[in-house]
Amino acid sequence: MRSWMELKELLKKVVLLGDGAVGKTSLTARYVVNKFDDKYIATIGTKVSKKDMQLTKPNLIINLRLMIWDILGQKEYSKIRTASLSGAQGVILVGDLSRPETVKSLESFWIPEIESSVGKIPAVLIGNKHDLAGKGSETVETLESMGERFGYPTFLASAKTGENVEEAFAVLGELLVADVVASRPKGAEELPQTLSEVVDFIIQDFCAQYGDLEKAMLIVQHQFEEAGVDIRKPTRDAVLQALEGLAKAEELSLTKTVAAVNLEERQRLIILAKG
Amino acid sequence: MQRDVKIETLILLSVCVFVALAVTAFVLPFEDTETRIFFVGLAVALASINVFGFIMVWHSSPTIIDEIFLMTPDGRLLKHYTRRLKPDQDEDILAGMLTAVQNFIKESFEEAGGKLKEIRFENYDIFISHSKSVVIAAIISTKKPEKLRTQMKLVTEDIEKQYGHKLLNWGGDKSDLVGVDSLMKKLLAGKYR
Repeated sequence: MRSWMELKELLKKVVLLGDGAVGKTSLTARYVVNKFDDKYIATIGTKVSKKDMQLTKPNLIINLRLMIWDILGQKEYSKIRTASLSGAQGVILVGDLSRPETVKSLESFWIPEIESSVGKIPAVLIGNKHDLAGKGSETVETLESMGERFGYPTFLASAKTGENVEEAFAVLGELLVADVVASRPKGAEELPQTLSEVVDFIIQDFCAQYGDLEKAMLIVQHQFEEAGVDIRKPTRDAVLQALEGLAKAEELSLTKTVAAVNLEERQRLIILAKG
Repeated sequence: MQRDVKIETLILLSVCVFVALAVTAFVLPFEDTETRIFFVGLAVALASINVFGFIMVWHSSPTIIDEIFLMTPDGRLLKHYTRRLKPDQDEDILAGMLTAVQNFIKESFEEAGGKLKEIRFENYDIFISHSKSVVIAAIISTKKPEKLRTQMKLVTEDIEKQYGHKLLNWGGDKSDLVGVDSLMKKLLAGKYR
């Protein structure tokens, strides 16, 4: 039986919740891709950012993209909040360890709010501003016991120092893909394995997507010649170079997006191929 | 803008040809009636061909879509197609923010009901088509969006029929959308049904 590896691209929506000024926006600022100013949270009630992470499981690599919705913490804006929570698959609940009332409101307000809007979904609890709170403080104990009761992983973190922020995202990522397993064990034998098999598979795939077989083969032939690919004994570097040329051809015949996705997938196959 | 100039030029050209023929047919003195009838007939025929040609050009020129976003109603981007390189733009975040803006407007004008269908900004129009589990937003910088509206409605309905059951409680696996590219490319090409 050959070894095999499957790649999955997953896109999940995650919502950041907690009282106003607990540090939700600061917590994520250093760890996510931000393209919009924080003022959008105040103006339209939401700001969206994203975080990519890679997780591995048996026979499976998961490229997980988290779309993080940072929502206005003021409790009065319930309609905007409900709309933003729609479709959320994970949640990061944030309390400020230097303000006990913000930790208590996680249990009294935010958790019931989530359950009524989207049901029970994977969540992590973050006690922010740990650098300001004393060790073993009552607020820390409250947060940790809350985490135990609800079964939510709990982190004492600091947006200022970066303590435990990355870890909280990583654990939420694991929770979000807990049920995801490799889905093609039976078909694994059919996946191309050696470099030659992969090259053959890529040629077929390129021709199928290009549509015109004759023209597609001419393009393949030209690009392989340019890159110095010997079809009987291909080398990894030469094939990778040829793939760039095929991608350029696909940018014209398909779209830039499709060409980029194909290039990435084919590069992955070449890198994972044996020989 | 370039398309506007072309169409305006075409209209001007049509008017000029018609005027020239009309002057030839009705103002210039002819020696006999048959010659006059011949020129009037020619004027009418050429004017008709001109008008027909204008209508054909008008109908056949598609609305050019600059960018198109295929999204879930909760703001996750399924597919993005663009004619322009925008290195600073993150399409996933933009799709999310576009949804956030829609949520904001919907909640702010709750009494009006319905959904946001169009946003205009300077030369850009954003047309939005909704179904239960799919949202398509198309950004155009040309005019004549009537056909595009109809085509967007059709493609939204077709994607809903084909993929709606997978997208209703979508787990985020983009491989669930195999085949959607061919539908979207037809829309981009202005040839959707």
